[in-house]
Amino acid sequence: MSTIDRVAHTNRWRSRSLSEKALLAFGLLVVTLAFPPWPTAAAVLVAAAAAAMVGARVPVRIWGLAMAAPVGFVVTGAATLMVSLGDGGPALAPNGLVDAAALTLRASAAASALLLLAFTTPASDLVAGLARARVPAEIVELALLIYRFLFVLADTFAAMHAAQEARLGHVDWRRRIRSSGLLAANLLPRALDRAHRMEAGLAARGWDGGPLRVMTPRRPVSAAGLAAVVATLAALVGLGVATR
Amino acid sequence: MSLIRAEGLTHVYPGGVPALDGLDLVVEKGRRLAILGPNGAGKTTLLLHLNGTLRPTGGRILVDGVPAAYDRAGLARWRRRVGLVLQDADDQLFAPSVFEDVSFGPMNLDLPEAEVRVRVADALAALGIADLADRPTHMLSFGQKKRAAIAGAVAMRPEVLLIDEPTAGLDARSAKRLLATLAELEAGGTTLVFTTHDVDMAFRFADEAALFNHGRMIAHGAAKTILADVGAMDRAGLDAVDVRDHSAQ
Repeated sequence: MSTIDRVAHTNRWRSRSLSEKALLAFGLLVVTLAFPPWPTAAAVLVAAAAAAMVGARVPVRIWGLAMAAPVGFVVTGAATLMVSLGDGGPALAPNGLVDAAALTLRASAAASALLLLAFTTPASDLVAGLARARVPAEIVELALLIYRFLFVLADTFAAMHAAQEARLGHVDWRRRIRSSGLLAANLLPRALDRAHRMEAGLAARGWDGGPLRVMTPRRPVSAAGLAAVVATLAALVGLGVATR
Repeated sequence: MSLIRAEGLTHVYPGGVPALDGLDLVVEKGRRLAILGPNGAGKTTLLLHLNGTLRPTGGRILVDGVPAAYDRAGLARWRRRVGLVLQDADDQLFAPSVFEDVSFGPMNLDLPEAEVRVRVADALAALGIADLADRPTHMLSFGQKKRAAIAGAVAMRPEVLLIDEPTAGLDARSAKRLLATLAELEAGGTTLVFTTHDVDMAFRFADEAALFNHGRMIAHGAAKTILADVGAMDRAGLDAVDVRDHSAQ
């Protein structure tokens, strides 16, 4: 989480318009789902990886590690397609290997399209995008506060955990379970306490209980960037149509 | 001229713990007022009263000589003039980026977009963090968070800025830089009221000092006099400033 967040804030496409990045990511996703996996999904995998690592300069190792989780999950699931259960017990399914490979390819390509967006766009920009897309304000505010509180709570958790460790609270599994329980039980009242103080801070800046209004910075759409996205998607659609 | 006046201010927290006990205080325009006292003296509770965050259990607050109104419109008018910065910046910073967080107050003033941008830019420049505008608030250092939180209040251009422990947790150099920034704000016409445990800092920086203990005022007057008064400081549970240390510097 923190690695993706850090890269999202520091990558070379950080200042690119959300519209360009969202169009590319969701365009890749639609192409992946609309056409047969070979060769389109493979091309999407390559395009997403190139956009992330060459375009946005997401470190290769970080991209690889992030892709490993969904791909591993998909491979495990797809492996079951290779086996069929008949009267004689388990056997290799006809076309099982092809089906499993197709599923793996398509799901991995879809995951890479979404990871491209996650790695190049901070969650705050996505939340601002939701607001512009007329998603109800209550949902947008909740997302905004959860995003902010996640890090505050993570810091509190880390500090409490370190304090417990320093007093031998995690030396064996029995103490670890007990300490973890205490920690979880203490996080909630602390979070509530912080929420009360934050409410006072917001009220001090003129908040009257209505929508939490902030000015979100807008990043202009670049014509060249948009053209590149459209050209990439058009090429992939062309490939999909030609090989269907 | 008194901007804010507390008369017989009493505050009792649920559970019967009295935090303020019939306290009188006058905040004069264009001054730097330091509020000092030991832990639990009622300093933060007082600040929360001075901008209407808390309601008195007894006594009253007057703004420009008029009893403060606690209805929605009254509080909005009050908080437009009196800004508050909490001690822990994480209690204040809620938006994902510094720019967005600092824009929150001006947006609540219903200012036009261009004016909000000007106010945010000015506040960030005043606090020396213009380069952090796009930085996510969770990626700031402790000192940067403190500055961002103050910028959030400064962007509303309040007449009075209440700051709870402005230099607590800051290293000496950061504290010095922050005080220089606050001095510039004061020179620009902002009245400063701040709580602190740092008696030496208050001696150097404040015009006036108010000493508290057990929710009561012990003494209030010129900082240079009050903070060197061994008797008053002792009653407030504090050690008096050794004036020789300061005159030697």
